[in-house]
Amino acid sequence: MSRWGMVIDLDKCVGCQACVVACKEENNVPHGSPEEQKSRREIYWHKMIAVTNGKYPNVRTEIIPMPCMQCDHPPCVTVCPAKATFKREDGIIVQYFRRCIGCKYCMVACPYGARSFNFKAQEAKAYHHQDEPPDRKSWAPWPFPVRTQGVVEKCTFCFHRIDRGLKEGRKIGTEVVPACVEACPSQARVFGDLDDPQSPVVQLLASRSSFRLREELATKPKVFYLSR
Amino acid sequence: MVQNYSTIEGTSKGYKILVVLLGVMVAVFIMSFLVAYLQGQQVWGVSNIIPWGQLITFYIYFIGLSAGAIIISSLSYVFKREIYEPIGRMAVFMGILLMVGAMLFVMVDLGRPEKAWRLFMYFYLNNMTSLFAINSIFYTGYITLMLVYLWLIFEGKKRLASIVGTVDVFWAVAVHMGTGAIFGLIGNREIYFSPIKPFEFLTAALTSGTSLIILTAVVTFKLTRRAFQDELIFSLGRLLASIIVILLVMVFTDKLTHLYFPNREATVYLFTGDYWWIFWIFQIGMGIALPLILLTHPRTKKTLRGVVCAAASVVIGVFGERAALVIPGTAHPQPFFPGRVEGPWGEPGIFPITPWETLLSLSIVFIVVLLFVLGLRYLEILPARAGETPSASPGTVGGAGP
Repeated sequence: MSRWGMVIDLDKCVGCQACVVACKEENNVPHGSPEEQKSRREIYWHKMIAVTNGKYPNVRTEIIPMPCMQCDHPPCVTVCPAKATFKREDGIIVQYFRRCIGCKYCMVACPYGARSFNFKAQEAKAYHHQDEPPDRKSWAPWPFPVRTQGVVEKCTFCFHRIDRGLKEGRKIGTEVVPACVEACPSQARVFGDLDDPQSPVVQLLASRSSFRLREELATKPKVFYLSR
Repeated sequence: MVQNYSTIEGTSKGYKILVVLLGVMVAVFIMSFLVAYLQGQQVWGVSNIIPWGQLITFYIYFIGLSAGAIIISSLSYVFKREIYEPIGRMAVFMGILLMVGAMLFVMVDLGRPEKAWRLFMYFYLNNMTSLFAINSIFYTGYITLMLVYLWLIFEGKKRLASIVGTVDVFWAVAVHMGTGAIFGLIGNREIYFSPIKPFEFLTAALTSGTSLIILTAVVTFKLTRRAFQDELIFSLGRLLASIIVILLVMVFTDKLTHLYFPNREATVYLFTGDYWWIFWIFQIGMGIALPLILLTHPRTKKTLRGVVCAAASVVIGVFGERAALVIPGTAHPQPFFPGRVEGPWGEPGIFPITPWETLLSLSIVFIVVLLFVLGLRYLEILPARAGETPSASPGTVGGAGP
């Protein structure tokens, strides 16, 4: 079984936030109103943080794109009382709306702030990929043309793309990638199987020094960063 | 001496007005719940940064009060201290009502309350590594045990009641330590993460439970014109003082562990950030310092007013202690990456007090008060007045008082 992972090369990242926009588009993530942004209720599956080190004039700001880290030891899965968030066999952590009771314990336990709560019923929009209607038989409520109020949601590594690609026999990591990887103009993101020695992800990780976020918590994220 | 119990007549004008006013709060509860349920939790102060707000604060507070009340009831039914007999039934009854209130709080805080039954599908549809799922076993068992306990007391089966009471006290300890573990085991939130949290919760539960019983006893006994020995309240006051000292040690140890080593940012935020007043004024000032002074000062510890003031201060202060855990614990931004995180992701969250959330919380508090007031009317909770003849059988439920 594959174990999907992502490598983000911070040296190549230009901070254009195309990944953030692509994620919102692909997964129908609602764009929050200015009030929602102010009250911190906007839904983000993929966020971008800027981190400053040093003092002017010797200052450096790094742009860190942050999808869900898809941890190998996910605290959110441990604390979820309803089995609403669980780890698939390929290592992707998914959130099942129909089971979620909205207790928000996973949001408290997530070390990366990767989870968002639906604070209101979101406007129902048609799924924008009209040419590729979602396959309801195998994906249940994914991808999300309609969302439910009162449940938690998060990044899924675009597993609907992966599943469809596998069914059609296409190569995951080169032909089929998550929306954020596809949208990156500087090719700073690489997606692939961490267990496959031939995959570009593994080869990149072997060639450069990498790190993961908050490694002291031992959550073993599957999103790796190559330092600048 | 055999302690007799009786209901209150409930015919006075004051009582009727009180019941009607509290009944209005049921309507307020239904309305504010429906508003949040239909419009979403955007009408509350919670956000993606501070996912747990007032309702969770009240929930852990009420569980603490309930556990404290049950442990205090054991003084009369397990340890057979006669002096505490007048408040024994009241303590058990309050334990049940406060737990029902706590369950209401946690239920309405859910985003999809209609799916709460999933919590009780043990091992099949729920995840038994989650503290919420484990606690659901504790909570249901606790409510059942308390009902059996109260029933045995009403039936006058003292020996059985003391056995069930003993089990119930240990169960109450487990219930509240489990509630503390909800927070204490979360490793990524510095303010939450502490092995001492369950024990601190338990001690705070004892202080707040004892204080609430002091307050309720004095208020109901005075309003229903029942005589009570001042010594009862003073002895509870002495007990309260000693538990507060233990609580002080617990809080000190917890905060020192977090402050001593350099990763103290979150605790410094708690002490000096936006919510410093919840910690210093409520948790430390009203929860520990003021009551400790009132209960140890030679002049105030011997007066009813002094002890009651101390109890009132603890009841408010321990609520502050819960709030100082729930809200600043998540408000402090998580260190995603070494360095200063710019923009909103690096700023502490702000928790506004919103009308619908406050109305919902307060209406649940008043529903619990309403159930208590009705309980006094229909159940023999309070000790009989001097010269009053006890009703025929000790367990009559629904008997109209003399």
